[in-house]
Amino acid sequence: MRRRLRSVAAVAAAAVIGLAAGCSGGGSSDSGKPVKLKFLSLAWQKDSLAANKRLVAEWNKENPKIQVQYVQGSWDNVNDQLVTSFEGGDPPDVIHDDSSALAGFASQGYLTDLTKLLPAGLKSDIPQAAWGTATFAGQGGGDQGIYGVPFLQESQVILANKKLLDDAGVKVPTVDAPWTWDQFQQISKKLTSGKRFGVAWALKSPVNRVLNLSLNYGGTFFQTSGGKTTVKVGPQEREVLQRIHDQLYKDKSADPSALGMGTADPLPGFYAGKYAMLPASIYMRQQVIEQAPKNFEWVTIPPLKGQTTQQGEIAQTLSVAADSKHPKEAVKFISWFLNGQHQVELAKGDWLIPTSQTAAKDPSLNTSKDGWDIATASAKSLILAPYLKVDGYDEFKTKVATPALQSYFANKISIDQLAQKLTGDGDKVLARYQH
Amino acid sequence: MTAVQAAVRGRAARGRGADRGVSFLLLPALIPVLIFSVGPLLYGIYLSFTDARGGRNAVVSFVGLKNFGEVLTDGDFWSSFKIGLIWAVSVTVLQFAAALGLALLLNSDLRLRGLARALAMAPWAMPPIVIGLMWRLVYHPNAGILNATLRDAHVIGHNVDWLNNFGTALPAIIVVGVWTGMPQTTVVLLAGLQGVASELHEAAAVDGAGVWRRFWSITLPQLRPVIIAITSLDFVWNINQFAMVYALTQGGPGGRTRLPMLFAYEEAFRYGFFGYAAALGVAITIVVLVVLGLYLWRQMRENA
Repeated sequence: MRRRLRSVAAVAAAAVIGLAAGCSGGGSSDSGKPVKLKFLSLAWQKDSLAANKRLVAEWNKENPKIQVQYVQGSWDNVNDQLVTSFEGGDPPDVIHDDSSALAGFASQGYLTDLTKLLPAGLKSDIPQAAWGTATFAGQGGGDQGIYGVPFLQESQVILANKKLLDDAGVKVPTVDAPWTWDQFQQISKKLTSGKRFGVAWALKSPVNRVLNLSLNYGGTFFQTSGGKTTVKVGPQEREVLQRIHDQLYKDKSADPSALGMGTADPLPGFYAGKYAMLPASIYMRQQVIEQAPKNFEWVTIPPLKGQTTQQGEIAQTLSVAADSKHPKEAVKFISWFLNGQHQVELAKGDWLIPTSQTAAKDPSLNTSKDGWDIATASAKSLILAPYLKVDGYDEFKTKVATPALQSYFANKISIDQLAQKLTGDGDKVLARYQH
Repeated sequence: MTAVQAAVRGRAARGRGADRGVSFLLLPALIPVLIFSVGPLLYGIYLSFTDARGGRNAVVSFVGLKNFGEVLTDGDFWSSFKIGLIWAVSVTVLQFAAALGLALLLNSDLRLRGLARALAMAPWAMPPIVIGLMWRLVYHPNAGILNATLRDAHVIGHNVDWLNNFGTALPAIIVVGVWTGMPQTTVVLLAGLQGVASELHEAAAVDGAGVWRRFWSITLPQLRPVIIAITSLDFVWNINQFAMVYALTQGGPGGRTRLPMLFAYEEAFRYGFFGYAAALGVAITIVVLVVLGLYLWRQMRENA
């Protein structure tokens, strides 16, 4: 009985707190009290965390009227968390996420269309191509609008063990004359000897990675006709899939035991010289610098070339919730937070490329130290990833594409079976989202 | 009116008054149950007949049995349900076997019996998420204690990624499931064992029955009602398991550990199909009730 009574008391207390919160949240801007914004940040790398927190503290000091509360989130479950908080009607005002999640949230009407709210300075500092990654149709397939400010971009490069390259007489290519996939495959074979593999593909989450790289051969994986989007797996889509598969099972230059690993898991083996090259996102450089043994020498190899060096781009974004009571103040904070100078700091903290053109010119992002020049130059290869515009892509990815690609790379199904699964099951999933 | 009638009526009136008093006293206990259990349950059943989807100010309309029709033909869900059954049955059976062994051990005259009983309860004290995180460290491919131990014992040549390997992921989480649920099962069985009259054992021993014979002919039959109760409860509890598996694998690799509850969770909170997810929940409940009903009915009939 006592326990029951206590829970009744708890309900009553919660109700009282809820009422109080409701009162203080309401008309605060008229009463002269400071506006309160909640900022959900997903920063996780040490430097990035520090940069985010420092910037928020600086803003709060300079803007006593608009106080920002830093809320820590995690990439692992941010979208589940957002769905519940959107449905509950109490989402964070400023939301850090990436462009692949925005299409769904925009079409569900959870995000504010920022098109008319953005200041001109910020709009012109970020190139049109980057804005494209955050431009989607609104609720119920409404007009196109900008639903987030893209600020950090990621490209796929290759990290390589310098000593092993030198021993094999392999020269590091430049951004202007990158390796082709053919060359990369040959060099991987050359670097394979005894127990050492030329390359380690960590493909625990293979979908975004493979889809982004497939643009090297113009593989888009989706086609839209008559307002209906379907999956396609033609010769262009098969190129990168087949080449990675060949490295694993034909050339035997890729370590099959790395397949189930997450992106950072092969690093210890990489330091130990078990693999000579590690295809990875540019942010992985930070982990190498933090963890690698003192005498470990490494280089960054620019993006590979198929027909082109083009890769799909996903950007990290800041958005404003549709339920936010203070969208203007939120945009004001975002445009300050993402100005050129701050983007340099954020990019360095996360080891990614800034979208701001002013920031990209910063000397510290163009030194040859730690591969920054190659990373920053690789931004040229980034184009809008076609799947960003596909409603239902997230379900396609987790339910269909991830298991199918994992089975294909584990050599359990053939490439034809893979194509069949992606198009057959994939179209069924996409149909749920088309009206 | 006779005195007897008056007395009867008086007693009846007093009885009704007492009833009212009792229900009034029950109210504080009833309100939380109504608010937190019955309310959401009814709301969930209602949702399962609608097309509720994620969306700001989304319009919800009644669609009748459409969701249930889709559930029946959803191959992904039924393969997830199969995984759920494999998981629930194997965890329940293994858990019961291990717990019975442990209970028998704890029931015998050990030294430090009190300490051993307390230690056996340890997993019970942990929230499922913490259990998930702890075991993720145990199974970690490079830093996990399991790989290190097996390598030192020369059982494996290279590190195994237990939770990401298609073949080992489900067995790996089943082991964790068994470990997690053992305390409850052990406690209940231990209580049951202590209820077995020692005279029966003594009598059987006098008649010359050995340890095994006494276990089969006395302990097990005496424990039967307890065994039925705890295995049914364990089965329901296991098939509804969510938090621990979510922390361990999130349903990966490639859906090999996607239990039905995880599947429904993803439908609702990842893809935003609330109505459909509610229908999944109702369908799971119905199937579990049917399975459980059959099991209990058979057991009771054998008992009778």
